Amino acid sequence: MAFPRRSFLAGAAGLGALAAAGGLSACGSQVSISNDPKELVLWYWDRSADPKLLAQAAKEIPGTNGYRLRADVIGGTFDTKLRTSLAGNAFIPDLTFINSNVSLYFPNQDLFHDLNSLGAEKYRQLYFDWKWQLGVTPTNRFCFFPLDTGPTGFYYRKDVFDKAKLPSDPDSVGEAIKTWDGYIELGQKLKKNVGSFMEITAGQIFGQYINASAERYFDKAGRPLYMNPTSTIRDAWDVAVKAVKAGVTGNQQNGTDQNAAWTTGKTAGHIEAVWWAQILADTAPDTKGKWRLASQPVRAGNSGGSFVCIPHTSKNPEAAFAFITWLNNPQNQAQAFNNMQLFPSAKDSFTSGTMKSNTGFFGDQDPLQFFLKAAEQVPTSFISTYETQAQYFGTEITNVESGGKDPERAWDDAVNQTNRTLRKRGIDV
Amino acid sequence: MTITNPAVTPATVTQPATTGRKRPNPIKRFWPQYVSIAPFYVLFLVFGLFPLVFSIWLSFNDWDGMGSMNFVGLAQYRFLITDPRFWNAVGNTFIIWFISTIPMLFLALVIAFLLHQNIRFKGFYRVAFFLPNVTSMVAMAIVFGSVFSDSFGVINSALQALGAAQIPWLSSPWGIKVTIACMVIWRWTGYNSIIYLAGLQAISTELYESARVDGANGWNIFSRITVPMLRPVILFTVITSTIGGLSLFTEPQVLLGDSGGPGEAGMTIVLYQYNQAFTQFDFGYGSAIAWALFIIAVIFAIINWRLVSEREVGGQKVFKVRRQRKEVAE
Repeated sequence: MAFPRRSFLAGAAGLGALAAAGGLSACGSQVSISNDPKELVLWYWDRSADPKLLAQAAKEIPGTNGYRLRADVIGGTFDTKLRTSLAGNAFIPDLTFINSNVSLYFPNQDLFHDLNSLGAEKYRQLYFDWKWQLGVTPTNRFCFFPLDTGPTGFYYRKDVFDKAKLPSDPDSVGEAIKTWDGYIELGQKLKKNVGSFMEITAGQIFGQYINASAERYFDKAGRPLYMNPTSTIRDAWDVAVKAVKAGVTGNQQNGTDQNAAWTTGKTAGHIEAVWWAQILADTAPDTKGKWRLASQPVRAGNSGGSFVCIPHTSKNPEAAFAFITWLNNPQNQAQAFNNMQLFPSAKDSFTSGTMKSNTGFFGDQDPLQFFLKAAEQVPTSFISTYETQAQYFGTEITNVESGGKDPERAWDDAVNQTNRTLRKRGIDV
Repeated sequence: MTITNPAVTPATVTQPATTGRKRPNPIKRFWPQYVSIAPFYVLFLVFGLFPLVFSIWLSFNDWDGMGSMNFVGLAQYRFLITDPRFWNAVGNTFIIWFISTIPMLFLALVIAFLLHQNIRFKGFYRVAFFLPNVTSMVAMAIVFGSVFSDSFGVINSALQALGAAQIPWLSSPWGIKVTIACMVIWRWTGYNSIIYLAGLQAISTELYESARVDGANGWNIFSRITVPMLRPVILFTVITSTIGGLSLFTEPQVLLGDSGGPGEAGMTIVLYQYNQAFTQFDFGYGSAIAWALFIIAVIFAIINWRLVSEREVGGQKVFKVRRQRKEVAE
């Protein structure tokens, strides 16, 4: 009874009103995140931009007459959050990064500005053409501007190759694995001599084969290509199956196993992008100096690398575009590489002379020069939005490797599952 | 209001009809009470009821979460019925539920029984057994991933040392299911044993004492007194474990990722729903899976209800007999 009833009721009423107001304000929504007309909000995720450059733009975006950048780090499920704000047409950033899965946004491309209408064309020659093309939608709108890239190569343990009495310097390894047959042959020798594998999983070979090919699952019109008997996907599948049968993949499907395999040398190789060097150095610091890089079979591919784009609701698309071109000019991309290991998409970054190569982990080999050479070889390809529905190929190749499933049956299952899912989403196959 | 003036009482008694008509609108009369409970209902409406109803609507549409919704009628459900991946997920869920719940509840019962004895450091053990339940799942997944690792795990090393064959725990269909079941058991055994312990403490010690006097040993006491007396508590844990088992998500997701590991052997119904909605951005199908799970849960609720109500029928018979006797007596 000593409890003040009136103040309790007032408090409860206040809480109720607050909840109601909270519910209502979300309905009478505000399209941009910031009310400040001179403040542009950027969404990005940790380690995807150089904080020093963002701090500079927070004072003033160069060449924009007083526009400032507010960079918000978005942690976890980035796409879900971005898609939610776009679907609700509320609290949309004025600029946003999107990861290598930009094709996910192709069906909703009208929600983003065509950067060509803001004068993107004149910057085109600055960047690797294959990277630029990845930001072009099927209807030829250029919505996604290049940030970093992920040229790939064959990482391998020189000490294990030495122990197996195999050629171990980058040039002769690259020469030996010039073709996929050569790769499998070398893998068999490695297996026979020291019991080590060339790659963690067959799925990795399958994926990186596709990443290094001009043709992928679908063409620009959305027609599936994998049912064609000479398609890239079928070739990649056959190579992966052959690698499984030859016993050169380790069937290490789980992260803990994979890390342990690379640390111990049980698996002595991996085809992956430039950004993997940092991960490797963090997970297996004791193997420093033992790794080398060799050219992968056939040619280098691209794995990962992100983009930046301007949602249709952006406060000032011109100022946003000015930020994009400033952030990604060759000098700034070189700086982002030095600070954050973001591999440039701007060709002149490499000739600017300011890029510092992180040597030591690869012995006397210069990873920067290696990956620059790789980046120059990457073929131009088209990643379709329907590739999300084509994930069954990866699932099925894993079934072949770890479950011993018959490869032909697995292939048929993958094709049927993919086609069924596509038909459900209203795509003719 | 409860203090009635005796002088007024006769007047209200004589005019019951008028007071009834003059009674103000209950919302006006009880507004402070309504306001006090409003926050919960407002939040429930926004974050509970609306998504619930919206997901029914979603399951009849094709929607990627951004663009326009496309009404497709029952197409999502038609696809679901013939979707082998969905049925694989249903099968996985039941297998994992079965191989985790039975050992878990048995272990929990034994632990609760032991904790109920007069042993030293009782408080310490109680806390220790409950600790897994509040441990971070991500940390747990890393530990389990290392322990069950195919070629570098502790368990496989032990098997090798004993001369047995190594088991691919994280890449074979049964290995994956057993690993997930172990995670579930590890996490929930302590929780269930605390519930059993509470039930045990409600059993009168006289029963145990008289059993001892009659010469019963520990096993006799456990199987003849403890288990029968705990029956309602056991039923409760079976129901909660069924709910938990049907909605199994975190364990396979943190251990194997969004696609349930090799062969989708660790794909559960809720993980499949998450996979479709948030990695495939097929919200219509994700909602259809959610409602299919709802139907499965309803079926289990009915089975549970039948099991319980059959016992109640027995109870009611006794009740009816008593009432009849009463009537006879009257």
